[in-house]
Amino acid sequence: MGSPIHTTVDRRIATGSPRVKVRRLRGGTWPYAFIFPMIVCLGLVFAYPLITVVRNSVYTSSMGETTFSGLENYRSLLQDPVFMTSLFNSLKLLVVVPVVTVVAVLIALMLYEGTKGWRAYRITVFVPYIIPATAIGISFSYLLQENGIVNIALRRISLGFLAQDWIGNSNIVLFSVGGLLVWTQLGFGVIVFTASLLSLPKELSEAAAIDGATRWQTNRLVVLPQIRGTVEFFLVLQAIQVIAWTFPYVYILTHGGPGNASSVMDLYVWRYAFQYSSPGLSSAAAVVLLLLAGVLIAIYTRLRMKQGER
Amino acid sequence: MHDVWRSKRRLAIASAAAVLALILSACSGPSGQNPQASGDPYTGSLTYWFWGESDVPGSTNWMQAAVSRYEALHPGIHIQVVPQATQTLQGAFQTAAQAKSGPDIAMQWATLPVLTPAWRGQITPLTGLIPESELSQWPNTQENTYDGKVWAMPLYLLGVPFVWNKDLFAKAGLDSTHGPQTWDELLADCAKLKAAGITPIMAGDKDGAFGSWFQSVVGTQTLDSVQELQAVYAGKADFSDPKYSGYLTRLAELRDKGYLSSDIASVESTEAWQSFAQGKGAMTWATDGNVAAWVKQGLGPKLGVQKTPQIATGKLAQYYDATQSISAFITSWSSQKAQAAAFLTWLHTSENMTNWYTTTGAFPADKRFDPSAITDPVMTQLYKLDTLPNQLWAENYAPPQVDDQGLRTVAQALLAGSTSASDATSQIAGIIKAWQTQQPDDFKTYSKWAAG
Repeated sequence: MGSPIHTTVDRRIATGSPRVKVRRLRGGTWPYAFIFPMIVCLGLVFAYPLITVVRNSVYTSSMGETTFSGLENYRSLLQDPVFMTSLFNSLKLLVVVPVVTVVAVLIALMLYEGTKGWRAYRITVFVPYIIPATAIGISFSYLLQENGIVNIALRRISLGFLAQDWIGNSNIVLFSVGGLLVWTQLGFGVIVFTASLLSLPKELSEAAAIDGATRWQTNRLVVLPQIRGTVEFFLVLQAIQVIAWTFPYVYILTHGGPGNASSVMDLYVWRYAFQYSSPGLSSAAAVVLLLLAGVLIAIYTRLRMKQGER
Repeated sequence: MHDVWRSKRRLAIASAAAVLALILSACSGPSGQNPQASGDPYTGSLTYWFWGESDVPGSTNWMQAAVSRYEALHPGIHIQVVPQATQTLQGAFQTAAQAKSGPDIAMQWATLPVLTPAWRGQITPLTGLIPESELSQWPNTQENTYDGKVWAMPLYLLGVPFVWNKDLFAKAGLDSTHGPQTWDELLADCAKLKAAGITPIMAGDKDGAFGSWFQSVVGTQTLDSVQELQAVYAGKADFSDPKYSGYLTRLAELRDKGYLSSDIASVESTEAWQSFAQGKGAMTWATDGNVAAWVKQGLGPKLGVQKTPQIATGKLAQYYDATQSISAFITSWSSQKAQAAAFLTWLHTSENMTNWYTTTGAFPADKRFDPSAITDPVMTQLYKLDTLPNQLWAENYAPPQVDDQGLRTVAQALLAGSTSASDATSQIAGIIKAWQTQQPDDFKTYSKWAAG
C-alpha cells in the first residue's frame, strides 16, 4: 500500500510527464555533484601530475622559459649514454624479483609447515622491510666499503681472497645493490606468502599426504598452485618496486657510482629534475619509467584475466 | 521532499565551490608581499639554509651561536638556521627556486654555482642592498661578480693545501721537512712510501670530489689564464686537447701505480681525511678548515703543508688554490631582503670574524681580519698561501652539470678502474657538448660572461 504521493509519482513516471523527466534528471545529477569534490581531489593527486609530466616531456625549459620541442627530449635521452646505462641497470636489477620471490616462498613454506618458533622467524625476516631506507643505505655503506666490516670479517677468518670493494668496484656494485634489495624485500614476501598459505584449507594437503604424496610433491602440486595468484601479484609488485623505487638505496649507498655503474632510472629522473634543472629531460625519463611500470601492470592484469577465465 | 532535495543540492554545490576555491587559492601563488619587506631591517623572520661543516668542522655550531647573539641584539628578528647536506645542496636549492619558496638566505659554492641561479633570476644582487664600503672588504669578490654586481657574500677563505704526515715521511726515509715540489718528486716519494708499506696518498672519491679537485689543483697548471679555462666550457676550445685533459692521464698513473688509498672508490672525502688524521696515509689534499681541526687536535707538529707540486709551466701553475668556497646570497623571492642584507652585513663585523677564527680555526673572508691572531706555524703558512695575490679554484668555473656529470662522475669511474684516461677524456668532452645543447640559455650566458 503506497502513500498518495508515491502513487502520483509512480503514475507520472509511468506517463513520462515533463516534470518527472526534469526531476529524474535532477535526481540523477546531484549524486555526481556530491562525488565531484572527490573526483577533483583524485584528479589533482593523480591526473594533474601525470598530465604535467607528459606535457613537460615535450617542452624544453631554460632560464625560466619553456619552449615546445616535440620529441627532442626523448631523442636526447636515447643519445645520452648515462640514460641508457641507468635504463639497463634498472632492467638488470629485475633479476632481484625472481630471487626474492623464490626465497620468500621457500621460507614461507618452511614456516607454514610448522617450524618451531615460526612467528619469531617471521618477525626477524620482516624487520629489514620496516627499517628506513636511509638507515639501511648508511649501514650498508659502512659494511660494504673496501675496508668495511664485511671485508674485515672475511680477512679475519682467512677468507681475505673473497674481500672485494663491494660498492667501489664498477663490476660488482650492481650485485651489491641487488643483494641489498633482496635483503630488504624478502620480509614483505615472507609475510605475504605466509598469510596466503595460512588461509588455505588443510584438507587438500592432508588428502595428498594420505594418497602417499611426499612433502615436495604436496608443496609443488597442491599448495603452490593455490597461491599462484598471490605469487603473480607479488612478482608484479616487486618488479614495479625495482623499476621505480630503488632511489633511496642507490642514492645513499653508491650515489649511482662509481661513475654511473649503479645509476638507475629514478636517480636519473631526480638528477635532471633537481640537480641540473632540466624538467623536460627529467619528465621524458619519467614517462619512460611510467611506460615500463605500465607494461608490468598490463602483464599482471592480463594474467589475472586469464586466471579468471580459467 | 522538494526542500530536502534543494538543501542537498545546495550542500553539493557548496562543497564543489569550496573545492574550487581551494584549488584557485592554491594556484594563485604566494599571497603578496610581506608588509615587513621594506620596513625595519631588524624585525621579521628569516630562514637561512646553511652549509659549511664539510669545509670547516664546527661552522654550523658557530652560525647557530651567531644567530643567537644577533637575535639578542635585535629581539624583533628571528632567524632559523637549516643545515644543508653536501649531496643535496644544489638540488635542494633548485627545488626551492622552482617553487619560489624556502630560504631567504641560502648558500652555494662560489662562481658558477652562485652565478647560474643569478642568471636564472633566482637570487638578488647584494650590490644595492649592502653598501659598497662593506663589499670592498670582502676578498675575491670577482668570483661572484656578474654584470658589475656582487651576488654573494663569502664567509671564509678555503684553501686546498697539499698536506703530508712528517712521521710517515721519516719512516719511509724521506725528508720530512720538505714535501715534493714536482710531479717526478711526487711519484718518487709515493714509490718510497709504498715500498715502506705506507699508503702514499689518502683520498676518498665516493662523493666524486677527488676527481674535480685534481683537475683544480693539477689540471689547470697547463693553462695561462682563467679565460683559457673558461674557453673549454664556452665552446671555444676542445677538452680533448691534452692541455685540458692531461690531468686524467696523471690521475690514471697514480691509480695504476697503486699510490692512492685502496678504498678511494668506496669512501667519502671526509672519511679519507679522518683516516689521514689517524696516520693511515702519508699525503692528501685537504681544506684549511680540516687542517685547522687537526691542529686543534694537537697534530700540528706532525703536519707539513704547501702548495700542490708544480706539474706544468702554464701561468696558472703559479696560482694558489684558494676560493671563497661557499657563499651566502639572498633569494629573489624573499620578502625580507633588507633584513637578510642587514644580517649578512653584521656577520662580517670585526668581532664576528675574529670569533669565527678563534672558534673554527678557518680564516674569515674579510680584509679587516687581523692575522696577528694566527699563532700556529702551520696555520700561518696556510694564511700566507690563501692571501697570495693570484688565487683560482678551477672547479668553480665549470657549469654545475659538467662538474657533476663529467669532472666528478667520469673521474670516479676512472679511479674505480672502469674506464681509461682516453675514454674519460672523450666522455667529458661529450658531457660538455651535451650541456651546451641541453642548457642553451645557460651556455649562451656563460659564453657572454666568459667573454667579459
